[in-house]
Amino acid sequence: MSSRTRSALLLALAAVLYLAPFAIGTEYRLFIATQMAAYVLVAVGLNLLNGYGGQVSLGHGALVAIGAYAVAIAMVDHHWSFWPAALLAMLAASAVGAVMALPAFRLSTWYFALITLGFAEVVGGLLTEWRELTHGFAGVVGVPKPVLLGHELSSLDLYWLALTLNILALWGMANLLASRFGRALVGVRDNPVAATASGVSLVRIKMLAFVVSAAMAGVAGALYAVQKTVVTPDDFTADFSIFFLLVVVLGGAGRLWGPVVGAVVFFLVPELLAALQSWRMLIYGTALLLLMLYAPHGLVGAMDVGWQHLRKRLGLPPVASQPPLAAGRGAVEPVAGEALTVQGVEKRFGGVTALAGVSLEVAAGTTHAIVGPNGSGKTTLLNMISGFYPIDAGSILVDGRSVVGLAPHRIARRGVGRTFQTPRMLPALSVLDNALLGAYPAERQSALSAALRLPVARREQAASLADALRYLDFVGLADRALEPAGELPHGQQRLAEIARALVGRPRLLLLDEPAAGLSLDELDRLGELIAAIGRLGTTVVIVEHHLELVANICSSVTVLERGAVLASGTPAEVFSHPEVIAAYMGTQAGVGQAAS
Amino acid sequence: MDPDLLVGALTAGSLYALVAMGFNILYRPTNVFNFAQGDLVMLGAMVGATVITVLGLPWFVGAGLAMLAVAALALLEEKVAVAPVLNRSATGHGWVITTLAVSMILANLVGLGWGPDPIAVKPPWPLSTETFELLGANVSSYQIAVVVVTVALVLGVEAFYATRAGKAVLAVAEDRDAALLRGINPNRLSSWSFFLGGGIAALTGVLAAPVLYASTGLGPSLLLKGFAAAAVGGIGNNRGALIAGYVIGLAEAIAATVLSPGYQLAATFAVMLAILLVRPHGLFGRAEARTV
Repeated sequence: MSSRTRSALLLALAAVLYLAPFAIGTEYRLFIATQMAAYVLVAVGLNLLNGYGGQVSLGHGALVAIGAYAVAIAMVDHHWSFWPAALLAMLAASAVGAVMALPAFRLSTWYFALITLGFAEVVGGLLTEWRELTHGFAGVVGVPKPVLLGHELSSLDLYWLALTLNILALWGMANLLASRFGRALVGVRDNPVAATASGVSLVRIKMLAFVVSAAMAGVAGALYAVQKTVVTPDDFTADFSIFFLLVVVLGGAGRLWGPVVGAVVFFLVPELLAALQSWRMLIYGTALLLLMLYAPHGLVGAMDVGWQHLRKRLGLPPVASQPPLAAGRGAVEPVAGEALTVQGVEKRFGGVTALAGVSLEVAAGTTHAIVGPNGSGKTTLLNMISGFYPIDAGSILVDGRSVVGLAPHRIARRGVGRTFQTPRMLPALSVLDNALLGAYPAERQSALSAALRLPVARREQAASLADALRYLDFVGLADRALEPAGELPHGQQRLAEIARALVGRPRLLLLDEPAAGLSLDELDRLGELIAAIGRLGTTVVIVEHHLELVANICSSVTVLERGAVLASGTPAEVFSHPEVIAAYMGTQAGVGQAAS
Repeated sequence: MDPDLLVGALTAGSLYALVAMGFNILYRPTNVFNFAQGDLVMLGAMVGATVITVLGLPWFVGAGLAMLAVAALALLEEKVAVAPVLNRSATGHGWVITTLAVSMILANLVGLGWGPDPIAVKPPWPLSTETFELLGANVSSYQIAVVVVTVALVLGVEAFYATRAGKAVLAVAEDRDAALLRGINPNRLSSWSFFLGGGIAALTGVLAAPVLYASTGLGPSLLLKGFAAAAVGGIGNNRGALIAGYVIGLAEAIAATVLSPGYQLAATFAVMLAILLVRPHGLFGRAEARTV
């Protein structure tokens, strides 16, 4: 389906939904449809957090409750008009949610699930306990209808308002997901290390996703309050939060339309559930378990798989449309490389000393190799330069400025790029999107301008796209840009990872065993590529076992053994050093033979 | 502070510590935090209460049957809900939702089978829930026993981790693949730890029944308070969980008297969030070494 037919279909769908009440609208149907639209709003927000960010929230029902109570209390007890009250609902849900989520986001995913579960219990308890504010069990009664320009909104108007909000939410969500924020969020879910190395602050991006989804839950709560006109604690039990999770998982977590499909299915089978009221949670639980085991991407995911099968059977290619890729061709720009100074760096893991006072000096714009037997501390040193391990003693300067104690994403933002021993890709995203993740720190657009596709965001996105394509072309992967990164062979994943690092314009690039697992042919191309990166001006530090490659491309070498520097100098000096030959390569070997 | 309050806090805190230890036993080799653990505790309490109170069999028979039944169920949970998602992605978090689903299924099945009424359970002879005065506080012999058994269990489990078999468990937690190369079968260890974690959960439930009554409502509240104790103590650290259990128990007791019983949960939750904000890995936990 081309994007033009797609837009036309969506427009037609929207028109049908706007006009449907004239043909088949009854008060009851409008009520149900508006309620469904409010739930879709919550589920779309939860999908951002859970489906794309991988953070399970068991407290979204409580956020809806906060929004609903905020509007009800402001309108009934304090006679606010609906619009500022709805804004209050949105702010209250996101602020309360953010305070609750802050400790959880520094820890593993499941902490967040439990803390949100506890949060829902606490809010549920306070709704009855805090009588002065919430009126206890009786709840807040008589929430008036919103008034717009002196005209009180009818149930039809309310339906249109909810529908409009849904369309805006889906459009904004699609834009947000296609931007740097969407890629960073998937990075948080699928490969936090890769995201961090690309300059993404995990806590900030999780918080952004959570605040956006909490704000949507708050707005949905506002709609809920004016639509039902009564809010009571009974509306917001623990089941309510689980319900939204089930809607997302049923429709398809991590699929844009998943929550919509999930909500529609839920509302199409209400009679069934009404008859089985006491079995409801049992059914929810069983459904969640079966879906997670057999259809982790829900109905939309299953439809995608079916569609792929159908295309295959019809002999069509798996990917339908190809955007113009030629836009990115062109020369890559030179970079001002930065010097690296490592002095007396020490690192212990428990009782094991991994690094015992390592010093090395890499001049700006040169290519330096760190070699040594397995376990000599090479990768540990890279991890300390890039901030993944805290340092026990010593100093690390990049361009004369200390990076010790900085979080790894901050070091990445300072212009230190890196790759890993085993390529760290986001397998579900395309090669192009993986490369674009590298542009995350350079892009300046806010989440709001990305969601609204403001011109400033679009210009920046176009520039990043051209950049990413240029660097994919530079490493020789331009023709595979649209394939899922997880499907590339090992050697090409390495190249894609290098491209991602290069898109961030690193002034210092750390490559961890780039030659491991490459074929001889790929090895030659890698050597040429690293030499070309060096010619751009980038300072390159490479940890490598393949000594021929090192001798060909590096101007200086440091040999590590058991956490200490054994020798350093030019490749010719170092590899003729008797101790190096004895300790590292064995007495028989010499340069020209792979030592690994 | 009212000494009676302290006794109540110590008893409740011991139970929270035991729930937390159940979490930890499962978590150490699998890195899975079982969301159904609260309901396993609840089921242990129900089975124990039924055998002891309804069938009138001796306490130890009830405790033994409950432990065996719940351990088997936990094993089933591991096979059906945890192993398949871990096999698909060892680092994914699909298990959060599947163990939550198991919790919902368990809670509702038990609710359908047993009904909502709590069952009172008498403690085993010669213990009693009759209180007497000790150092100015009203204490029952059963409360003392709960505290003593908890401390003994925590020390016993910690002693196990110092043995060869215990180190194997820790090795799997550290690096599943490396442990495999050393001849440790991580899958079998996962199954075993679910079995043991289920047994501990049931024992916790049976111990809790004379103090808290056996009812289906136990599950969610013990899940959250057990989590609070585990998180505040540092995940995986049982001694930390013991101390944190008492911290949570005390916070709860103080909140109930100073504020009102209705704010108990909110206050406990706030204490936990505040501690995690200052010390993300708990009072006694350490940051997991990152592997890059």
